[in-house]
Amino acid sequence: MSLLQVKRLGKSYDLETKVLKDISFDVEAGEFVSIIGPSGAGKSTLLRSINRMVEINEGHVIFDNNDVGSLKKKELRQLRTDIGMIFQHYNLVPRLSVIENVLHGRFGYKTTIQGILGRFTEDEKERAFYLLDKLGIGEHAYKRCDQLSGGQQQRVGIARALIQDPKLVLCDEPIASLDPNTSKIIMDHLQSIVSELNITCIVNLHQVEVAQTYSDRIIGLKAGEIVFDGPTPWLTDDRIHHIYGTETRELITG
Amino acid sequence: MEAASQSTYIKRKRDGRIRIKSGNKAERVMQGTILSFIILTAIAFIIFDYSGLHLISAVQETMYNLYVMFLQPGLSHFGWGEALFQVSMTLGLAVLSTVFGAVIALFLALMAATNLSNKGLTKTVRIIVAFIRAVPTVLWVLIFAIAAGLGSEAAVLGMLFHSVAYLVKAFSEAFEEVDPGIIEALRATGSSWWHIVTHAVIPSTFTYLLSWTFLRFEINFTVAVAMGAAAGAGGIGFELFMASGFYFDLREVGFITYAILVVAILLEIISTQLKNRLFPAAATQ
Ligand SMILES: Nc1ncnc2c1ncn2[C@@H]1O[C@H](COP(=O)(O)OP(=O)(O)O)[C@@H](O)[C@H]1O
Ligand SMILES: [Mg+2]
Repeated sequence: MSLLQVKRLGKSYDLETKVLKDISFDVEAGEFVSIIGPSGAGKSTLLRSINRMVEINEGHVIFDNNDVGSLKKKELRQLRTDIGMIFQHYNLVPRLSVIENVLHGRFGYKTTIQGILGRFTEDEKERAFYLLDKLGIGEHAYKRCDQLSGGQQQRVGIARALIQDPKLVLCDEPIASLDPNTSKIIMDHLQSIVSELNITCIVNLHQVEVAQTYSDRIIGLKAGEIVFDGPTPWLTDDRIHHIYGTETRELITG
Repeated sequence: MEAASQSTYIKRKRDGRIRIKSGNKAERVMQGTILSFIILTAIAFIIFDYSGLHLISAVQETMYNLYVMFLQPGLSHFGWGEALFQVSMTLGLAVLSTVFGAVIALFLALMAATNLSNKGLTKTVRIIVAFIRAVPTVLWVLIFAIAAGLGSEAAVLGMLFHSVAYLVKAFSEAFEEVDPGIIEALRATGSSWWHIVTHAVIPSTFTYLLSWTFLRFEINFTVAVAMGAAAGAGGIGFELFMASGFYFDLREVGFITYAILVVAILLEIISTQLKNRLFPAAATQ
C-alpha cells in the first residue's frame, strides 16, 4: 500500500473557480517528488490538502491508511505529527531562540498543559541539538531566530519538521527566497532526509532545473490539473513547455 | 518631452494639473468633518454669554491665582507623610484596576482576534467592548456607585471595566498582527490552540502587550485622581477636591498638582527604563 494516495481530489475556495480538479496520484515511501507549475496553478493548495491545512471538497486523501478528510480534530492533530512542513518564509517565531523553535515540532505529541508549560524531555532536547548540529547550525542554538540569515532560518525550519519524526515532509517553495548557493545547501539537506532517514519528500518548486536535479519523480500542475506525472528523465523540454504555456518559456530557461 | 503620458487613468484637478490623491469618499468625508468643526467652533465663540465678564480683571485674577498656586505651593491641612500616603492610595487604585484589567483583557482579546477565534465570538466581544469604551470611565464609576455606593470600590470597578474594554481592543489588534505563517506552521505540527497562543502569539506580541498595559496604567493614575475628587474614591484626588472646593486653599492645590506631576513623570521614566531593559531590540526599532 502506498504511503500517500490522492484520489480524484477537488478543491475550490469559492463557488466560481475550481483551484484543483480531479487530482489523482500515489506516492511511495522514500520517494522524492517535486511539484512544478506556474504560480496560481494550485501547488500550495495541493500540498495543504494533504495535511488538511485546507479543507478538501471532493475526493479523498489517504495517508498511511487514514482517510484524512474524515478525521476528527484529535485524530487530525495526531496525523499532522507524522507530516512535517517547510515553508518559503520559514515561519519561525522570530523572537524566540532557535532551540525553542525546533522544539515547537514536538507540540503535536503533548497534552495542552505540557505544551503550555513547555515541558520537553531531555531526550527531546538532545535530539533537537543533534539535528541542529547535523544541519550545521548547532552553534546558533541560543540565538534569536531573527538574527539568523535566510538559509540558517530554513535549516531551523527543517529541524522543526524533522523533530516531529515524520513519515512525510511537505515543502512549499523552500528555496524561493534564497540565493543559489544557499538553495543548494537546503536542497542537499532535503535530499539527505530522503536518502538517509528514508523520509518521503514532496516539494513545490519554481525552478525546473532544481526539480530535475534532485527529484525521482516530477508532477506538473497547470490550472489545477495534473498535466505531467512521471520519472524525472521523462520531463522533456516540450513537456516543460506545455506545463508553463508558450509565452513563459524564456523566463524559465533564461 | 515625449514621455508625456496619455493614460486614460489620469485624473486632473480643475486647473488641469494631475492629481496624486485618490480623491475617494473617505477623504471628502474627512474634509467635510474638519470644515464643520471649524464653523461650529466659530459659532460657539460668537454666541457665548460674555455679560458679567470683564476680560482684563478676569485675566489678572486668573494670573494671580496661578501665581499663588504654582510659585507658592505649600501644605496646611495635612503633612508630608499624609500626602505620600494619599498618593500611594491613588497609585494603588490605578495598579489594581490595571493589573486585573490586563489579565481579563488578555483572555477576551484572544476571543476578539479574528485570527484566533471564530467570526461569531469575535463580533460579539467586539460589539460589547466597543459599547463599554463609548461610555466614559466616570460614568461607569457612577453606575457602579448605585450598587456599591460612592467610594473606592465603585471607582476600581468602573476603571477596571473601562480598562478591560480599552485593552481588549489594543491586545486583539496586536494579536492580529502576528504573521499568519507562524500560526500555520505550528498548526501543521499538530499543535493545539493553546500551544499556539502561549508559544507563538504571546511571545511575538509581548512588548506591545506590556506597552499598552503601561500606557493604560498612566491613564488610570490620572483617572484615579479624578475619581478621588468626583466619586469620593479617596487618595490624593480627594485631597485636591477638598483643598480647592472646600478650603479654597490655592497653595495646597499647587502642592498637590506638583505631587501628581512628579508621580506621572516617574511613571513615564520607569516605563521607558523597563522597556529598554527588557527589550533592548524593540527600543531601537
Ligand atoms: N486562501 C485562499 N482563498 C481564496 N483563494 C485562494 C486561497 N489560496 C489560494 N487561492 C487561489 O487558488 C489559486 C491557487 O493558488 P495556490 O495554491 O497558492 O497556487 P500556487 O502555489 O501554485 O501559486 C490561486 O488562484 C489563488 O488565488
Ligand atoms: Mg504557492
